Amino acid sequence: MERRAGKERRNAMAYRVLIVDDSPAMRAFVRRVISLSGIDVADCFEAGNGREALALLANQWVDVILTDINMPEMDGEQFLECLQSEELFRSIPTVVISTDATRHRIERLRQLGACGYIAKPFLPENLREVLERHLGAPCA
Amino acid sequence: MPEDFLQWVVHESLADVLEKMFFISILDETPDTVPLPLQEEMAVRVGFEGKPSGSLTLQLNRVVARSIAGDFLGVEQQELSDSQVGEVTCELANMICGSVLSRVESAVTFRLHAPEIVNPDQTPAGAAIYSVPLGPAAIKVAMVTEAPICPPAAESAS
Repeated sequence: MERRAGKERRNAMAYRVLIVDDSPAMRAFVRRVISLSGIDVADCFEAGNGREALALLANQWVDVILTDINMPEMDGEQFLECLQSEELFRSIPTVVISTDATRHRIERLRQLGACGYIAKPFLPENLREVLERHLGAPCA
Repeated sequence: MPEDFLQWVVHESLADVLEKMFFISILDETPDTVPLPLQEEMAVRVGFEGKPSGSLTLQLNRVVARSIAGDFLGVEQQELSDSQVGEVTCELANMICGSVLSRVESAVTFRLHAPEIVNPDQTPAGAAIYSVPLGPAAIKVAMVTEAPICPPAAESAS
């Protein structure tokens, strides 16, 4: 298992990103935007729901998680709760990307531990700005 | 007022989603003045629970769907599978529905169901229908809600 953490490491190396979304098209779009943004990405993992993401995290360390809310088996809120309940995962910046931009939902997700929120539709630079903020280093 | 408001919201949401996520600018034409595509259509329905609950059905020509799927995924149209076109169309419907509901339900949470591909011949009964020209055809949005959708200010005042 690879376990690497900390902002010092993040500033010096390429990032490991996990995209959690039940839509293969949306995962492909986010992956494409990240690759075009100039962010130095070493690995980009994908999961179709929260349960798959937790299984992946058991074996892979990531620097940031981008997750949807509405997903089968384990939705985004349940996924955030699981991340918060695990000491090891609590420090991973988790950004929600969702169509639901209601004030109530955003407040709830922040309470559950999301560090950022991107409402769909979004511009590529919106994602880049959020990733820069939470990865702690400007993109190339 | 609610009908005009919903028409405006659907139009704004369509324009926003297509411009930001698909890099497509739609013409600023009055909805419902454009002839709809008569054949080779596909449709995706997204149900939602909230205040009010209902569904949004997106209908468009398969050629247009393939074109916007290519834009979304950054893939040449001839390289796209039918499955990929369907997935992107589902995501388009999902985003339009979420965008519409976020504009009208800013104070309450809603829940979207997974988008599903449906028979394009079956427009939901009682649906409010809006169409916007796009390339050689049009995108049609049909919305059904259990209660009229009103502007947020009007709702909070009631």
